Amino acid sequence: MPDASAPTEALVPVTVLTGYLGAGKTTLLNRILTEQHGRKYAVVINEFGELGVDNDLVVDSDEEVFEMNNGCICCTVRGDLIRIVGGLMKRRGKFDGIIIETTGLANPAPVAQTFFVDETVRSRTRLDAIVTVVDAKHLPQRLADSHEAADQIAFADVIVLNKTDLVTPEELAAVEQRIRDINPFATIHHAVRGDVPVTALLEQGAFDLDRVLAHTPDFLADDAHEHNEDVASMSFEVERPIDPERFNAWIGALLAAEGQNLLRTKGILAYPGEDRRFAFQAVHMIADGDFVGPWREGEPRRSRIVFIGRNLNRPQLRRGFESCQVKA
Amino acid sequence: MSQTASLDHLLDTRGVRQEFGAFVVATAFDRGGVPAFALGDGTLRLLRDGSWQSVAAHDGAVLALAADARAEGFVSGGDDGRFVRTARDGTTTEIAGFGMKWVEHVASYADAKSPVLAGAVGKQVHLFDAAGATLKTLTHGSSVSGLVFDARGKRIATSHYNGASLWFVASKSDNPRVLEWKGSHIAIALSPDGDSVVTAMQENALHGWRLSDGQHMRMSGYPAKTQSLSFTRSGKWLATSGAEAIVLWPFTGGGPMGKAPTELAGADGVLCTQVACHPQHEAVAAGFSDGMVVLADIPSGRILPVAAPGRGPISALAWSADGGRLAFGSESGFAAVVDFSKA
Repeated sequence: MPDASAPTEALVPVTVLTGYLGAGKTTLLNRILTEQHGRKYAVVINEFGELGVDNDLVVDSDEEVFEMNNGCICCTVRGDLIRIVGGLMKRRGKFDGIIIETTGLANPAPVAQTFFVDETVRSRTRLDAIVTVVDAKHLPQRLADSHEAADQIAFADVIVLNKTDLVTPEELAAVEQRIRDINPFATIHHAVRGDVPVTALLEQGAFDLDRVLAHTPDFLADDAHEHNEDVASMSFEVERPIDPERFNAWIGALLAAEGQNLLRTKGILAYPGEDRRFAFQAVHMIADGDFVGPWREGEPRRSRIVFIGRNLNRPQLRRGFESCQVKA
Repeated sequence: MSQTASLDHLLDTRGVRQEFGAFVVATAFDRGGVPAFALGDGTLRLLRDGSWQSVAAHDGAVLALAADARAEGFVSGGDDGRFVRTARDGTTTEIAGFGMKWVEHVASYADAKSPVLAGAVGKQVHLFDAAGATLKTLTHGSSVSGLVFDARGKRIATSHYNGASLWFVASKSDNPRVLEWKGSHIAIALSPDGDSVVTAMQENALHGWRLSDGQHMRMSGYPAKTQSLSFTRSGKWLATSGAEAIVLWPFTGGGPMGKAPTELAGADGVLCTQVACHPQHEAVAAGFSDGMVVLADIPSGRILPVAAPGRGPISALAWSADGGRLAFGSESGFAAVVDFSKA
């Protein structure tokens, strides 16, 4: 549940719906819109999209990815979304949330970054979750022949593993493991023809800092097997508190150097003498961090960080994170 | 303490005000001097002889408003994909429909011989004659974020990703003069002499091109995006929003290069959201995020309060052509017209 005292309550939640062509994205979108949930959504569909149902507010948009003039090449935003959100705010109060459907080949990073980089968008909306629809039968092939399929899984907060009726239980288990290897913190829902309850997709608060690592990956089991994925995840946990200055210096340099390869980063940090947890997240180079709720009584105050990306250097990341600890 | 009362003195003594309960997207005076407000609920509200008239022009939000090129009435664009003409009596006529695409910007140029209407829809700007017949379509490489006619109606300037384009309205061949600068340009202004094109950028800065010598102009230092920019009648100053003051760049003596801007009506923690230069004098009206509206005399730096804070961030501001009246509206639906001319 979102914190009732947080100012984010007035912000319009935005759900990003990604997925490869043929994965069942449009079917899922139509389900969301036809289900009787008593809420109204503004829907932004891409230029090739079609909506099979009536919805009061559908915006047809060209996906315009703009580079920011800040010297950071991975810092791209969706210019069309900045305009559309500005326009939608003029009829504020007429809808409860915004759903953005991307094209099958879209990289989700520019969409996500738009909600962190643009001040106007940030002041009026909040990115609620990235929902990725994948096809249980064809995912292995998609992962083999495109970068985007892995990117869409890597960025996801919620994964709808669709068309499970077309695969054997063994195939399903294998495909789920491949998803886990890429992204250990997404919630996975099995589905046939997108039959996932809307409550499992919308209002997830996945980008709220106090939900960072709410779905804790299994830190101990993580190192047990080697992955062969193009995109992989790595998690680290340390015992001693983290020195904020050292951490900021390390993570700042790491994101600057490796930001293009680091798709998503999430961490919960224990600072010395601080009863609150420090939460941290980044999409490529764009980082966000703040104190969230206190450590629970009896909870071990271990700092944890998870990286999802390409060409991750495990020993280097481990040493880097370990060196941020206060001296023993 | 009657601080608030005094800040509202002009509004109280010379204003007509209304609460509309919907986002005021834009305001304009028609060529005969009737003011209208365009709202987020799809209506236009016209003020005629002291009484308000509501016209359901769009099914959705109105996104843009301009005076019609004719002697009376307005043109507007909406998120219903329609480019609509509204007469003073409330009659609406669809000039063109674009389905799910939004009509995000509109402009007009009134000329006895060849009046022109323009509407920006995605990557295209559609030009129409006064009767509403399509003259031509100007296609850009990315979505158009702003458009403006020059003072003589000969050219139309548009802003978009990676720069701006200048098109000749009457040209047979549709090749624009493309002004390149990397990045996303989100609004545009043209100096009265037509020599300077200035855009606002995504990165809280302005970029300009001097057409006569190809000189680039960079104006930066804003804490927020500039949404509104306006040249004074003389072209000596460019007034801009996006800072905790009205920021005025000098376009004289080689400026704005190497010159500091003048800041007027500064207020801590309150952003200037709208500016509109007076059509005759070296003065600028400005609206702020706290709802304050002021009139600033540029040469003397004197500030005249028009409306006190507290009625929502100012989102629309316009002068009548004779400079006698100022119309303004806010995000929360407050609107007013203040008459400076009456004795």
